[in-house]
Amino acid sequence: MTSTLDRLSAILARDYQLPPERLTADAPLDGLGIDSLATVELLWSVEDAFKIKLPPEPVTLTTLGDVARHVDALAAAQGVVLPPAPEAAAALHSP
Amino acid sequence: MRRVAVSGIGVVSPLGNSAAEVIANARAGRSGIRRLEIPFATRLNSALAATARLDEEAHFPVARLRMLDRFSLFALFAANQAVAASQDALVGIEPSRAGVFVGSGMGGTQTMDGGYQTLYGEASDRIKPFTILMGMHNAAAAWIGIEHELRGPNMTYSTACSSSAVAIGEAWLRVASGQLDLAIAGGAEAPLSNGSLKAWEALHTVATIDVGEPSASCRPFSRNRSGMVLGEGAAMLVIEPWERAKARGATVLGEILGYGLSNDASHITQPSVEGQAAAMRAALHSAAMAPSDVDAINAHGTGTQANDRAETAALRRVFGAHAQKMPVSATKAIHGHLLGAAGALECVLSLLAMRHAVALPTMHLQVPDPDCDLDYVPNAAREGLAARTMLSNSFAFGGANAVLALGGGEPLSH
Repeated sequence: MTSTLDRLSAILARDYQLPPERLTADAPLDGLGIDSLATVELLWSVEDAFKIKLPPEPVTLTTLGDVARHVDALAAAQGVVLPPAPEAAAALHSP
Repeated sequence: MRRVAVSGIGVVSPLGNSAAEVIANARAGRSGIRRLEIPFATRLNSALAATARLDEEAHFPVARLRMLDRFSLFALFAANQAVAASQDALVGIEPSRAGVFVGSGMGGTQTMDGGYQTLYGEASDRIKPFTILMGMHNAAAAWIGIEHELRGPNMTYSTACSSSAVAIGEAWLRVASGQLDLAIAGGAEAPLSNGSLKAWEALHTVATIDVGEPSASCRPFSRNRSGMVLGEGAAMLVIEPWERAKARGATVLGEILGYGLSNDASHITQPSVEGQAAAMRAALHSAAMAPSDVDAINAHGTGTQANDRAETAALRRVFGAHAQKMPVSATKAIHGHLLGAAGALECVLSLLAMRHAVALPTMHLQVPDPDCDLDYVPNAAREGLAARTMLSNSFAFGGANAVLALGGGEPLSH
């Protein structure tokens, strides 16, 4: 989960310009200014970055850690091998 | 009815992002119209626009920006600036007696355009979850209400190019009648989406580009005028009872004296001389003014053949011989047509012109038109002309005309 969290943090730092020190596993999304609608948008970036397919059913994700666990579970279920963190972070910054 | 003071002005516009910048540029006749430098410009016959330049990330957190269409961003910036300039007008106000009145002709059109691009252009179903909340016309007013915790009426008016004159007029009515003690009122427009630019072009009302000097492409009341240029921005006022403003020691920037409405009820685009005249008469009546009490006019002056001819005739019909004596300024020549925000920006320019004792120029008036034979203050500001009262005209496609009667505030001390 740690490397997934790092990659998520990179997305949030990019899209919401949030300081890294606030992007901890127990940080509530709402407290970061990401409400339930913004989470939907965030999950599209997650889908693209992690090459996973999100199910259409809504899920309740309260903290950043929840999102990371959700991604890990989906990746495992879908047989997706997550790339190591530095590569993923680099991919985020390529056009 | 109570006297109503303007105690705060906020603006983001092609002429600058503060009252000081806007009046300086308008006075100097510096045009905010320029060639539109976007990839889509290659698909436009006349790639012109009057754009506003706002460093949005310097003023709002990124998470907030992701929820704001450009028109709401402009509205919120202008409202915040107006409140900041009002010398604490909101302090001590009963929130339910403070309202927000915003005009916008096209609302969150860029957001909707973006959604259609996703849906049709990219054949993707990933429509942004905020699309409805950003695209809705009342988003701007809603954000202002949230930001300043104003719990009274939160109203949005959409009467095309008169939207924000209507918003200011309706806010004035509520404050003057004693129903409200404060209002933030104005307009916001961000119409420069690809779809909107193309649709305006299809309507054949957009000016031909002046290849040698694109910034001079909009030429109100000039015989060689060829149409309007789309502009973007917002202008907001803080208004409150005159007595309240004075009691709290605020500087009064101007006064709303009255407001008149009329409807052409004749044609969806063609202006009606009688309709325009009726709105001016209604404004005079509401302000208890005679035509000879009006010192100057801010014209609707779009730069279309039809409007400028009709407006000249309407001014003559209302003012008779007095029409000849009034400076008539058409500032759209330099800030373009801000559609639903035009009335608010021109109200601001009128108030500032009175306060700074200047008649603003109608720029690019190159060729006199026998059908437009009033004093349009051609091409150079007239200094030292301290109008005490002005009418600001806003006429609209659809025929909903709105005219604000305005009074000068405290003159600037030099």
